[in-house]
Amino acid sequence: MTRIGRWLPALVALTLPLWLSTYHLHVAIMAGIFGVLALSLNLLLGYTGQLSLGHAAFFGIGAYTSALLTLRLEWSFWPALAAAMALAGAAGWFVGRLSLKLRGAYFVLVTISFAGVISLVSVNWIELTNGPLGLPGVPAPELGPWSLRTKSAYYYLVLAAVALCYAVCRRLVNSRIGRAFVALRENEPLAESVGVEVTHYLVVAAVVSAAMAGLGGSLYAHYTRFVSPEVFLFTYTVTMVIMVVAGGKGTLAGPLVGAVLFTVLPETLRAVASWQWQMLAYGLLLVLLLFFLPRGIVPQISAYIAGRPRSDPGARAPSP
Amino acid sequence: MVRRSIVLVALVLAALVAVTLPAQSQAPIKIGVIEPLSGPVAASGNYIRMGAEIARDWINAKGGVNGRKVDLLIEDNKSDPKEAASAAEKLIVRDKVPAIMGAWGSSMTLAAMPKLEEYGVPMVVETSSAASITKRGNPWIFRISPPSEMEALGLEQYVDRLGVKRVDFLAVNTDWGRGSITAFGDMLKKKGATVGAAEFMEQAATDMNAQITKIKATGGDTLFLTTAVEQITLVMKQAQEQRLGRKIVTTGGSSSPTQLIKQAGAAAEGSYHIVFFMPWFPEAMPDGRLAKAFVDEWAKRGHPFEGLTEGFRGHDGIATIAEAIRVAGKDEAAAVRDALWKVSLMGVNGPIKFEKDGPAGKESGQSKPSIFVVQIRDGKVALPDFLAKK
Amino acid sequence: MDQLLQHLVNGLVLGGTYALLGIGLTLIFGLMNVVNFAHGEFYTLGAYVAFAALGWAGVDFFVAVLAAIAAGAALGWVCEVTLLRPLRGESIDTTMLVMIGVWIVMQNAELLAWGGVAKSIPHPFPTAPLVLGPVAIAPLRLFVLVLAAALIAASWLLIQKTKLGRAMRATFQDRDTAALMGVGIGRIHAATFALGSGLAAAAGALLGPVFLAYPSMGDLASLKAFCVVILGGLGNLPGATLGGLLLGIAEELGAGYISSGYRDAVGFVIIILVLLFRPSGLFARQERIA
Repeated sequence: MTRIGRWLPALVALTLPLWLSTYHLHVAIMAGIFGVLALSLNLLLGYTGQLSLGHAAFFGIGAYTSALLTLRLEWSFWPALAAAMALAGAAGWFVGRLSLKLRGAYFVLVTISFAGVISLVSVNWIELTNGPLGLPGVPAPELGPWSLRTKSAYYYLVLAAVALCYAVCRRLVNSRIGRAFVALRENEPLAESVGVEVTHYLVVAAVVSAAMAGLGGSLYAHYTRFVSPEVFLFTYTVTMVIMVVAGGKGTLAGPLVGAVLFTVLPETLRAVASWQWQMLAYGLLLVLLLFFLPRGIVPQISAYIAGRPRSDPGARAPSP
Repeated sequence: MVRRSIVLVALVLAALVAVTLPAQSQAPIKIGVIEPLSGPVAASGNYIRMGAEIARDWINAKGGVNGRKVDLLIEDNKSDPKEAASAAEKLIVRDKVPAIMGAWGSSMTLAAMPKLEEYGVPMVVETSSAASITKRGNPWIFRISPPSEMEALGLEQYVDRLGVKRVDFLAVNTDWGRGSITAFGDMLKKKGATVGAAEFMEQAATDMNAQITKIKATGGDTLFLTTAVEQITLVMKQAQEQRLGRKIVTTGGSSSPTQLIKQAGAAAEGSYHIVFFMPWFPEAMPDGRLAKAFVDEWAKRGHPFEGLTEGFRGHDGIATIAEAIRVAGKDEAAAVRDALWKVSLMGVNGPIKFEKDGPAGKESGQSKPSIFVVQIRDGKVALPDFLAKK
Repeated sequence: MDQLLQHLVNGLVLGGTYALLGIGLTLIFGLMNVVNFAHGEFYTLGAYVAFAALGWAGVDFFVAVLAAIAAGAALGWVCEVTLLRPLRGESIDTTMLVMIGVWIVMQNAELLAWGGVAKSIPHPFPTAPLVLGPVAIAPLRLFVLVLAAALIAASWLLIQKTKLGRAMRATFQDRDTAALMGVGIGRIHAATFALGSGLAAAAGALLGPVFLAYPSMGDLASLKAFCVVILGGLGNLPGATLGGLLLGIAEELGAGYISSGYRDAVGFVIIILVLLFRPSGLFARQERIA
């Protein structure tokens, strides 16, 4: 990994607001929020091997908590963010404990059912969530005397969040806990037999993953300034899954690459294709991508580069 | 060598001149349109689009606005508020539209509203019914569709003649359905009727038998139904199967009675429908000539007749924006917004003129659309029986 | 009491339709281990093919249903051979994502081809309901229930009694041994996927006239199908049938007696409870799914 390869993307990311229009900055912010979400899903899917198809529930819980606390109780953004992460994490703990003995398809179904129940609550519990009318006017965050209302300011907030989540994932994955995750994914009976308390680690993964998704939800709520039950739509979960799997699950860069690609792609299609063809093209591109890079972009490209002869001066290391 | 460089310099100069010359007279006026063109309500979104396209073509046939052609930039919000906001941002920043029409569903409209304030671009709301849209203090919103309260007021004069004493509600579980129940419930209670059950159905639900069974048990005389035409069809068929046997009144204007007759058949017989456009008797509309022309043009383009009850909204929205641009004299967002307060035009639904609505100093514009009631009798759409007998 | 009976009858009919959706998916998901998110799209395809056959070709209703099954099976075969077979060695998530792509493509292609307006599919049954005491049921729904039962029985017979069925069971129990015994693995995979998709299309063709046909009708169908499959145990046909009936009745009673807004929640809560206490489904033999 060359030094330039490591610093260039960081430099680019840091100076983005200087040379992007506000629309493109908007796309970048959305990509960042989904980056956080993809990283969170990756913890479960990529490292413990358990698929959570209800991940939008944690995202939505975070969004609603943050929105409600700042709107109704007039909390400041930062404690609301912490509360959002805590509540989402608690939900993750609940789902993790629920699925003590469940793996694979059964775990998936519990997550779907959980998300389904939460979604229905958000629509029907009008006194709390305002139901389908949603919560408009969520305030923008403030940092001391400055309001983080402008796009550039918000972009840096999101960037910081992405960096933080990436760092947390990296620490976690390289620690003993991370190794336990992988053991759980690769061969659970064997892991259990050598004393790894797999269920405990699954719950840990669920809690961290959910809390991180809650962070994403709070960022989303304060950026779009409008939260409605649509945050629990299955398409959000599907999008996250696409980003993780197509980007490369089980890697750290994969979800980020996936998040950027699949946030930029629909917007690009919006610019180049007329509305009749946008979704069709999206689906086709997805199928083609998986066909040629079935293990995901990052793992496939890493493997390709690793396979090239070392003495090739043109070889460029992939960014971390 | 010298000749080549002279040619080169000439070309560059020509290019510079062409680029810097005010191309105003040639460049088209762009109007943004955000509608759900895919997803569960794609039919409605597309009807609005078709109506908008008719308006655009009529305007351009008459020479455009201020001598310039009108161009519609159509975006799909995929029935997702996040996409509605992204579409608004793209239209405003990249395409630099001076005005937008959208976004059909109330939560899509609410999600796009912060962008309007951020950049200062007006939006004409053509379908959304949530009261909060014009009450939130967003001075860039101008709505030509009626909020549920206005709709309920429109029915008030007929309540006695309809003979409504004990009412039950069945509505889709969205802001529209819930808002409708509240608005009509309040209005009916004021008129002395009692409200029995208020049941809901999910937007994608196809089996409403449980709700119908519950409603059957209340012993009421009228059922108020608020949802899209597909679900209305299903409810009517299932109500017939369960022999519900009571008056049905649909609200919201999306009931498309023609489609109901086709798909629900005898199950739709006798039902009443609140609509905002009567394509079956266009001459009865406030501007009969315009309404008839619209119906004819729609048919000429091969669009389905049942889409007219929604498609006219697209026409009226674009016509309103175009008129505002004409009054403003330029296609600049703030000027268009100011002009919207001054416009007074005749749409397919009727007269369009905006009044202040919402908190002082930050009012939104709300027009007072015309509201009609029709009935399905003998397999055809007719004026309601209580009007026919004098 | 009258209400309860009507609710039960409603639930039974609804459950029959869920069962029909479930049996196709339990073959694909349960046996082939493919998380087929496009299952609902084959359901939609069946409805639209029936609509086309009845509207344009003007054929008999039963022929239309057969045409729908054939179309679903054919497209399923093509999907398996072109998309799933080359990716056979990849992880389950990759195949799941491919089917998500297929889901998006199919739904938007249908939107493009047919438009978003719902289509009503004509059927030959009288609309007046059959009345038995306090309970009313439409003849069409009764027919759907009967035909669903017949299809389930036929599928069970196919899997249990025919050579093809034996080959299927062998392949999914132990692929290598089955290959050694001369079973054409590729053909079995394609046939299984085709069978499952054909059943989904049948469900669509039958339920289309009961409800309506529109491009997004498959989304909810997919979700309910997955619930039914898990409730009944992966790969368990009778289990899926019973699971479907149970889900239908539970939803109906929940909507009737608890709250219509939370109707779907009843189904979800039941699933969570079932999985807590009997993780491998209500009717499966006890086995740990890793």
